[in-house]
Amino acid sequence: MSVLRPAIRRLAKASIIDARSFTTSASRLQAEPLQKPALNKEFKIYRWNPDEPAKKPTLQSYTIDLNQTGPMVLDALIKIKNEMDPTLTFRRSCREGICGSCAMNINGQNTLACLCRIDRDTSKDSKIYPLPHMYIVKDLVPDLTQFYKQYKSIQPYLQNDNPPEKGEFLQSQEERRKLDGLYECILCACCSTSCPSYWWNQDEYLGPATLMQAYRWIADSRDSNGAKRKEYLQNELSMYRCHTIFNCQFSNLPEGTQPCAAIAKIKLELAAD
Amino acid sequence: MSSSLILRSSLSKSILKRSIFRSSMQGRFLRQATSDRFAYVPGGPIYKGTVNDPTTFPPPSKTHGSYHWAFERLLSAALVPMTVTAFATSGTNYPLFDGILGLSLIIHSHIGFDSSIVDYLHPRKFPVIGPIIRWTLRAATVGTMVGVYQFNTNDIGLTELIAKVWTA
Amino acid sequence: MLSTRALGLAPSLRQAAFSPARNHVLRNVIRSSITKRSIQTQSLKPEDGTTILNKQRLQRPSSPHFTIYEPQLTWVGSIFNRITGVGLSFLLYGFSLAYLVAPGTFDSTHVIEFVGGLPDAVKYAGKFILALPFTFHSFNGIRHLLWDSGKFLTVKGAYSSGYAVLGATAISTIVLMFQ
Repeated sequence: MSVLRPAIRRLAKASIIDARSFTTSASRLQAEPLQKPALNKEFKIYRWNPDEPAKKPTLQSYTIDLNQTGPMVLDALIKIKNEMDPTLTFRRSCREGICGSCAMNINGQNTLACLCRIDRDTSKDSKIYPLPHMYIVKDLVPDLTQFYKQYKSIQPYLQNDNPPEKGEFLQSQEERRKLDGLYECILCACCSTSCPSYWWNQDEYLGPATLMQAYRWIADSRDSNGAKRKEYLQNELSMYRCHTIFNCQFSNLPEGTQPCAAIAKIKLELAAD
Repeated sequence: MSSSLILRSSLSKSILKRSIFRSSMQGRFLRQATSDRFAYVPGGPIYKGTVNDPTTFPPPSKTHGSYHWAFERLLSAALVPMTVTAFATSGTNYPLFDGILGLSLIIHSHIGFDSSIVDYLHPRKFPVIGPIIRWTLRAATVGTMVGVYQFNTNDIGLTELIAKVWTA
Repeated sequence: MLSTRALGLAPSLRQAAFSPARNHVLRNVIRSSITKRSIQTQSLKPEDGTTILNKQRLQRPSSPHFTIYEPQLTWVGSIFNRITGVGLSFLLYGFSLAYLVAPGTFDSTHVIEFVGGLPDAVKYAGKFILALPFTFHSFNGIRHLLWDSGKFLTVKGAYSSGYAVLGATAISTIVLMFQ
């Protein structure tokens, strides 16, 4: 501590000198910060407040300077919430595409706000809606209760009446490879809520995310409950409302999963039964 | 005097009874109203059970499941060579083929209509119009089958008609 | 401190500080007034939570869907597949039922005669209106059969097969129109 004291004193002296020089000629000593011109972009965001339930949902407009904002749509939302309107409500957590909280409809496509770059073309506004055809809790927050209840219904856990006597379940590399592209799903509900069949019949139709998880357990060599898992889907509503519309599978799906292909495989397996 | 007293007492008793009855009815009605308000409506914002209960599955039926799906695919796949053949041949020369094509097209159409009804007008959501439209479709399909049979036997047949109308 | 000021007790408190004899009386007054001021709570049974939640649920709006979703080849093509199928089936059903009801007016000679009497522009328009749905539904049907057998199930496969269907539809529609 005593060693540091002279240094601190010197610093303090220097700052006094600096302060003096600052008052006389600031521009000479201080580098001018790089001033980027303002790049104002308009964001139109879906708003609905449960405290005023009679008011219809509206699009509220916010204009922010993209040069003062991070690159992703989530950055813009956080900036708006911090600096302009603290009542704006949305879910977010990891900001890196692994939690699936910030799933929403951005410019007409379902995606995670944290993985979606802001389009720097300022001539067009950016429209942000909650996930389509969901009951809205507030602003961009949809009620995912039904989605989670459906996920629970397919019993998403390993079931095997004959566990190995010693050690763990063993899988060959081929058997393990079957689960690739299935287990990565983070249940963000982007795919399910992009599916028109799910829009019309989500009370009974399970939707792409849940069906892909159903297949994840049917395809698992360690699971012995496959017959029962398949039997659950043998009706006209739970799975066969899928008409291969292909909305659920798009290139910016968070984990690069293929729900449409997974459902096609279940259908083939059920037909072969 | 006494009779009027009796009358009055019985009247008041009946009024009392009626008011008790009414209040009990009101209570029942109120209870029903509140429970109806939060009743489960398919597709509505109220869900069955608590948030921790999984959704349930309809009873399994392969007829409505994989058999239906496989039949639909096989029929559609069969329609591909049939359509090609219909372009190449004339229906009047092959009346049996014309009959099979007509029947296949009607079944294919029926499945398509039925699938649309399940998607948009399912009886669980539309308890009145759903069944009506389902039975209308069944009746129309039977009628169409008879009509096509009549046309194929008494007239020139479907493929021939389309070919002739196209070049008319 | 905040509470005493709010209650307007500050002067009396100050007074109390100089007269210790009245101190315990005053303390009681303060205590009773503070307990009276406490927040009103309402006891709720566990099942009341569901009622409160359900009340909120009934007010929730449903978020917009097909009106805001990007029109893509995927779902626009799919709905067009259904519309064309339903349209053609309506024609089949309509004609067959009409023939069943009135075989005299809807027999082949009458129909061919009627179509033959139409002006050329109407004929070509009619052919276009019939050929486009028929070819699109047929080619897209083949695409669906390929999907169902496990082919073209990638994003790239879906789009390339979709464009192939559109191309084949355009060419065959034009060919059929001028036949």
